[in-house]
Amino acid sequence: MPGNKFLATADVAAWLGELSKTMRVFAPRNEGQAVVYREFDAAKGLELRRKPTESAKHALFPRSEELLSFSYLRPAFGAPEKEGETPSDVSQVQVKMPVEPMPTVVFGMLGCDAGSVTTFDPIYDGSKFKDVYYLKKRQATVFIVRACAEVLSTCFCNWVGGDPANTKNADVLATELSDGWLLQPVTERGEKALTSPLLKDAPAASEGQATAIHDNARKSLGDAPNLEGIDAALFSLFADNDFWQRQSAGCLACGTCTYLCPTCHCFSITDETSARNGVRLRSWDTCMASLYTLEASGHNPRSLKAARLRNRVGHKFAYFLRNNDGQISCCGCGRCIKSCPSSVDIRQIVKDALVQAASIAPPPPPQPVAPAAASPKPAAPVKGKGRTKEKANG
Amino acid sequence: MDDELKGAIRKVLPDVDCVIGWGPGPDPLRSAPFFMRKPEEVDAFVVGPLAVNNPAVFLPEYKGKKVGIVVKGCDSRSVVQQIAEGLVKREEVVIIGFPCSGVVDIQKIAAQLGQDIEPGMVTSLSISSDKLTVNVKDTAKTMDMADVRADKCASCQYPNAVVSDEFVGTPKEGKTDDYADLAAFEEKSIDERFAFWEQEMSRCIRCYACRNACPLCVCRDHCVATSREPHWLNQADSTREKLFFQLIHATHLAGRCTGCGECSRACPVGIPVGLFKRTMTRAAARLFDYQAGTNAETVPPLQTFATEEPTIKEREW
Amino acid sequence: MSVLTGKERRIVGFLCNWCSYGGADTAGVGRFVQPTDLRIIRVPCSGRINPLFIVKALLGGADGVLVSGCHPRDCHYAEGNFYARRRLEMCKNLLPLVGIDPKRFEYTWVSASEGQRWQHVVTEFTKQIHALPPAPVFPESPEIERLAACAGE
Repeated sequence: MPGNKFLATADVAAWLGELSKTMRVFAPRNEGQAVVYREFDAAKGLELRRKPTESAKHALFPRSEELLSFSYLRPAFGAPEKEGETPSDVSQVQVKMPVEPMPTVVFGMLGCDAGSVTTFDPIYDGSKFKDVYYLKKRQATVFIVRACAEVLSTCFCNWVGGDPANTKNADVLATELSDGWLLQPVTERGEKALTSPLLKDAPAASEGQATAIHDNARKSLGDAPNLEGIDAALFSLFADNDFWQRQSAGCLACGTCTYLCPTCHCFSITDETSARNGVRLRSWDTCMASLYTLEASGHNPRSLKAARLRNRVGHKFAYFLRNNDGQISCCGCGRCIKSCPSSVDIRQIVKDALVQAASIAPPPPPQPVAPAAASPKPAAPVKGKGRTKEKANG
Repeated sequence: MDDELKGAIRKVLPDVDCVIGWGPGPDPLRSAPFFMRKPEEVDAFVVGPLAVNNPAVFLPEYKGKKVGIVVKGCDSRSVVQQIAEGLVKREEVVIIGFPCSGVVDIQKIAAQLGQDIEPGMVTSLSISSDKLTVNVKDTAKTMDMADVRADKCASCQYPNAVVSDEFVGTPKEGKTDDYADLAAFEEKSIDERFAFWEQEMSRCIRCYACRNACPLCVCRDHCVATSREPHWLNQADSTREKLFFQLIHATHLAGRCTGCGECSRACPVGIPVGLFKRTMTRAAARLFDYQAGTNAETVPPLQTFATEEPTIKEREW
Repeated sequence: MSVLTGKERRIVGFLCNWCSYGGADTAGVGRFVQPTDLRIIRVPCSGRINPLFIVKALLGGADGVLVSGCHPRDCHYAEGNFYARRRLEMCKNLLPLVGIDPKRFEYTWVSASEGQRWQHVVTEFTKQIHALPPAPVFPESPEIERLAACAGE
């Protein structure tokens, strides 16, 4: 295909170095025993084989992000104090907006990491609300997705509509061949990013080689179970405390799963102040923590970890679906399983939920067969039933 | 020993809400905490080098109910300390002990596998007394157990449960703890240590797995680290805040940590946070001749005092 | 800008209300000359001092922390300083691991009548701190750096 480029293995660092002159380049590298996405630094190397421990979501959704900064202004020296005026008067507060985000490239993110965008877009770029902080970063970021040649036992992207060579929300698909990388532009933005003289036109045979690698990875994922009706199953189990207590017995209620998750997107906003100055920060929050739902009255609707685990699984496989055309908000990267200190396995919970729900409710009557152009999408969600209020996205 | 342990668990089951132990995990290299309620569930019980998690972390949740727990030596020390501090009632827990010959450290297995193979690619494994063989696709790789055993096991003083109602197997000889890991770290200069933590803590994601995996972190949902009043930590993604949390954890565990190593193991990004607690443990041993989790009758050193402290050398101004 | 900028170090002192704060006062009343690097925070008792106060000050950029309470057996609350002694000694053991020179933190006992002793303690500790390089500082996150920059404006 025209537009396909080839980057020799020896030139990868040089190309990223070239890009980082004008852009922020995120790429995975080894740090301690972890693989993390950091701004590219040739001296610190790259890690393009092992799967990153963390997701790349912080390129769009930083762990802690300045929304604005403010200062209470001092009255001019000697100025007479005005009656009834306090330092917190709005007129005396100077507010500054953060600097504009830099153009960014995320190189070598996994196909499942692009799932961040699939989940973030409907929330931060929804029909009702637009989040400028997110949008500016989204528009300034090019995603170069790396196809997986190997899959891990915790990978399950094929369960949720993903693919080892996922191109959804990717700008470029990169596949490692024996002596270099085949870069296949997916979007116009991706094509524009591939202009360096270090990139040669890809040889004709390379596309076939890449496809073989993709097929091989697909095959090694194994068969995906049928998750149809998972949202209904989870809704029917909402009040099944016994089920959730059993599932969460081993959970430590830490935030590892949610913070490593590419699609978790909840945040908290705090003002951090010092004397007359302050910054308003938006930082990651986790529904696995009790503070997440703690109300000012002291009441906590999710004081038990069972309810919190139910929320995490429920949000990914039920609540989000119903608000977003059946889109599952889990990308199947398996990080929550791989890094869970207690080996909690979301796949098993989902499977158990389907079994448990089937055991308590008779199967629904067969649906009338749709006309020939049946959509491959899951059955249309039932609107207005059992909707659950979400924290961050309303 | 597996079958004897399973027998002991089945014997205890009728008297308790559940027995906490280890069961099959999500991949061949990992087990998972396992909560057995019915005799038939006991069949899946797992013990041996993969019985890594410390089941004592769950005990305080079951306060008011009687539960059984299967413990390695290190786990039993956590239970003893929990009893000593009144977090768990002795009469509410049935302790099943066994002689532990060490557990694996999955990160060390990863190191043995090399750059191109990840632990997640392992399809099966087999364990003999001193070898561990993993299969990745069609190839097998054998490693010495000594190379993949957790650090804490190399200096394990208590391989047998310190306290138990049922003990299955022949007790093993303990080793001595010479704090060689700390000595190795202390070869770094003061400045190098600062730089080390600056680098390590920068990748902390503030998930608090270290805290939640700790069997003696008892504040749970009321931790000062997430409190706004007092406001010890702010929400910035700052290395200093992250390190400061580790120091909160270490000071709160001073003289209480039993060295189960769960904090380090739980860390998803592999920060050796156990070093902070090891330092405090060594200090408590040197200053107060105190070892947490060995005797439920003693008072932790920072909850008491002596009018004369011969081991504390004060500054002479 | 103070004439002492660059010459002075930031030393935080936690002094108990009953003995050491009184001792510092006695030194002041007696006009004993002391270095000016110390900033005193008065606390009810040395037993009130959470070791985290010390750690927080040191990580926040303090060059040194000095704690002073009543002499052992002389605590206004009978046993506060006994507990404090154990905690502070443990804290001193933790600092070198983090890369903070343990010489940056000392604790001692000064009674309300020991004005001269207070002068000696402050002088010696300040000398000790000046013999060390300025405290290492963690880079702030960009967000908080911005906050610090605002403060300078």
